Amino acid sequence: MSKAWRNVGMGVIIIVIIIALTPYIWMLLTSLKLRIDALASVPKWMFPPTGEHYPTVFIDKGYLPLLSNSIIVALSSTLLSLLVGVPASYVFARNRFAGKEDLFFFFLTTRMAPAISVVVPMFLIFGKLGLVDTYYAVVLAHSSFNLSLVVWMMRGFFEEIPQEIDEAAQMDGNTKAGTFFRILLPLAAPGISATAVLCFILSWNELLYAMILTAFESRTLTVGIPGLVQPHGTLWGQVAAVAVVATLPIIIFTFFVQKHLVRGLTFGAIKG
Amino acid sequence: MSSNNWKRILLDKGTSPLFLTPALIIFLVLLVGPFVYMVSLSFTDLSFSQPGRDGNFLGFANYRKLMRDDPIFWESFLTTIKFVFAAVGLEFLFGLGLALLLFHLIRGQRFIVTLILMPMMMAPVAIGLMWKLLLNGEFGMLTYYLRKIALMAPQTAPLSSYKLVLWTMVVIDVWEWTPFVTLVILAGLMSLPREPFEAAIMDGASPLRVFWDVTLPLLRPIIALVMLLRGIDAFKEFDKVFILTGGGPGTATELLSIYTWRINFRNWDFGYGSVVAFMVYLVVLIMCSVFYKGITWKRGIEELRA
Repeated sequence: MSKAWRNVGMGVIIIVIIIALTPYIWMLLTSLKLRIDALASVPKWMFPPTGEHYPTVFIDKGYLPLLSNSIIVALSSTLLSLLVGVPASYVFARNRFAGKEDLFFFFLTTRMAPAISVVVPMFLIFGKLGLVDTYYAVVLAHSSFNLSLVVWMMRGFFEEIPQEIDEAAQMDGNTKAGTFFRILLPLAAPGISATAVLCFILSWNELLYAMILTAFESRTLTVGIPGLVQPHGTLWGQVAAVAVVATLPIIIFTFFVQKHLVRGLTFGAIKG
Repeated sequence: MSSNNWKRILLDKGTSPLFLTPALIIFLVLLVGPFVYMVSLSFTDLSFSQPGRDGNFLGFANYRKLMRDDPIFWESFLTTIKFVFAAVGLEFLFGLGLALLLFHLIRGQRFIVTLILMPMMMAPVAIGLMWKLLLNGEFGMLTYYLRKIALMAPQTAPLSSYKLVLWTMVVIDVWEWTPFVTLVILAGLMSLPREPFEAAIMDGASPLRVFWDVTLPLLRPIIALVMLLRGIDAFKEFDKVFILTGGGPGTATELLSIYTWRINFRNWDFGYGSVVAFMVYLVVLIMCSVFYKGITWKRGIEELRA
């Protein structure tokens, strides 16, 4: 490729990065603006910054519990999904049994199931059980999609560990379960941590289940944000402040899992 | 036999069932159960807003209503189809172009790729709010510049114009998900074997021919998979549109998921709402089984190659 074309190409890439990041940067700036600057009809890129929106919305308006709810829900659903999903994925990676691939596909459909359809019966069932607006309801709902992500991703990671390692460990007198816990889990640790981060992100970002299955006590941050938007007179500085807090951990996490993103997002169909 | 031996048998032979059962139970309880319940509800008149409608059996009345007397459902279906095709089509074009560019210029240097990826990692709710702020009719930053360079008439606002609003949703979806298509195609490009390219170049093929006759055919399975994945997700789109327009103005952006939400959680009509939810489920299931076939198909190709 000639040098001129190279430069054009690099220019395009830089423009794409700008397009990808500008909305976020604008929101970050808005969270630091006084009301008058945020509502200026000519966009203001330079302004006297203020940090007031963050304490106002999280402390005075009581959004801090929502933040901790988000953390509790995301952590619990990640933990539950790993606990149940990692052993199951190992069976899929190592065993042969009739109908295995069909069962595996069944796990996929659960991840693909449209939340809006699943949440209707779930809402009624959890309502009858008195679980609506408890952590249990949201954590279980989020585990329904995170569990299949775990099974799908971890199967790939386990398949990459040579079978000879299992055989050697069992020759040394380990049971199958012992081999799994003592030898394979440590080997799969990088995969497990990447999977955990992806689970956390998916649960943290989720809106629909959380919105319908919680009312007040266990509301997560994503559920609380829309409540700040009014038809008239939205306090955009505060909205932006909550949105920044809701997205910042995700941005940091994304850099941790960048190596495994393709696999995680295509259900292991593409190794990346 | 000593108890030690029994333990050993349990830990050897018993491992697989023991490992698999909890996952199966959770799936049955969280997905199969609700699915069956949803289907059974679809034959009833259960509603929380009208007295006397406490789950009486109706037969297929709800289904007849869907087929014959609910133009809004079908309108919403059409809106969803438009949204899916426009968004996924554009995401494919931009994603493929960007992936090729990244592949040839920076070979997928991770830091730059991750920067481009950011939109798809953030909470869709936050994305909805960001764009609501950017596209506000009075002080939106993007609205201001779009009017300034005369791409948009003064007074029009992308979120309240009946004609523009669905395409605005498409643009935002393209902004959010092109990175995903890029990422997957880029991964595909990096995994391609080199020999066919070298052979084609030896034969003196032009870059365009190489792309058309070598790159594209080799990428086809991956492109099909990523399009289908995006298609399924776009069909289920809820969060962004819910935050940005709530389905309005009028029903201009009332996607199926929003319509389902409205019937169930605004009208509290769970009988009819279950039929609608079931229909959405059905479409996704069909797309899923195509995806499944795609994966087995791709595995077959890989085995052929190995």
